[in-house]
Amino acid sequence: MSSATTTEASHSPVEGGHGHGQHAPFLAHHFDTPAHQFDSAKLGMWIFIATEILMFGGLFVAYGLFRGQETEMFHQAHERLDKIMGAVNTVVLLFSSLTAALAVRQSQVGDRKGTTRWLIVTLLCACIFLVVKFFEYQHKFHDGLLPGHYFTAHLAQHAHHGHVLPYRAHMFFALYFMMTGLHGVHVLIGMGVLSWALKRNLDGKISSRYFTPIEIGALYWHLVDLVWIYLFPLLYLVG
Amino acid sequence: MSTASSDHTSDHAHAPQTEGHHEEGEVHVHVNSPLFMIAIFAALIVLTVATVAVSYVDLGSANTFVAILVATLKASLVATFFMHLKGDKAIHSIIFIGAFVFLIIFVGLTNDDLATRSAVDVDNGSHRLERTGVVAPGGLQIPAAPAGATTPAAGAAAPAEHH
Repeated sequence: MSSATTTEASHSPVEGGHGHGQHAPFLAHHFDTPAHQFDSAKLGMWIFIATEILMFGGLFVAYGLFRGQETEMFHQAHERLDKIMGAVNTVVLLFSSLTAALAVRQSQVGDRKGTTRWLIVTLLCACIFLVVKFFEYQHKFHDGLLPGHYFTAHLAQHAHHGHVLPYRAHMFFALYFMMTGLHGVHVLIGMGVLSWALKRNLDGKISSRYFTPIEIGALYWHLVDLVWIYLFPLLYLVG
Repeated sequence: MSTASSDHTSDHAHAPQTEGHHEEGEVHVHVNSPLFMIAIFAALIVLTVATVAVSYVDLGSANTFVAILVATLKASLVATFFMHLKGDKAIHSIIFIGAFVFLIIFVGLTNDDLATRSAVDVDNGSHRLERTGVVAPGGLQIPAAPAGATTPAAGAAAPAEHH
């Protein structure tokens, strides 16, 4: 993302290379034109998105592998997740993707207030997502549905003669916490990126000629949404 | 220098160039109309409701297939319209799809590995392919005493000492 940062430095004496005597304040010196700068930032962001897909991909492959070996266990363990909370969070994230896209749109047409409004709505959605996630995690902790040797759900089950989860159910919860946890970290980072974009907008650095921070921040946010689009059905719905 | 502009006719609204910046090298983009974006959002919600509804119906292994199919549809909508891959430079789509191509290679080779090596199971000393019973390379050495029939695929009942 750093390629998107503006060099605020006033025209230095060594400036040259581009023919325009005066160039826009947002144009960094190592770019020929605003379009060149914009394209470079987006190219870098897309390559970063590809690496993110591959990082989450490793976890998805682990999920597929263990699920293939322990299909029945996965199915029984996934019933301990709250479908409704997961669905609510899905709707919240999809809506936040819409508002992030609207923020980009408003910045493209030079509507600074609109950009601010939609960025704030996006950040609020991120907060709602994390609050719902907090309650989900709290419930899992309470029931001892945790990874590896922290898994204590079977003890409580025996005590209450409840339904006993199958052997190795802790594996499911290891994947659940790794996948939703890494995604949760991305939500937090996304909130940081969007807050930074919001600040630049409030500082008056964003215009219809330069909206790269909004565009790049929103791309990151959409990635967070994309990952959840796969996490939700695989963990909550089919197990 | 080509830019991120596009010239489809579907959606409109005005790119910055209509505001008087006609200079070479300015950022030109395709601006979607808010209504169009809300329509995409509505489609995403419909698909979400559908996938949740289907999860209550037992379709056997088809449940997983439907879930992944719907998720892929939703992801495509987000990438195409919210992330502006439509009308964007082709290289961005190539990079994005390329990531999935490598993911498929990852999944494929992992599956191939699992399917063609014997199960490594300490409890059963299995050294055979679970599907065919043929002795497979890798895995543990079979102890001198014949280790009974080929055994329990994973997920079967649990040895007690683990609880």
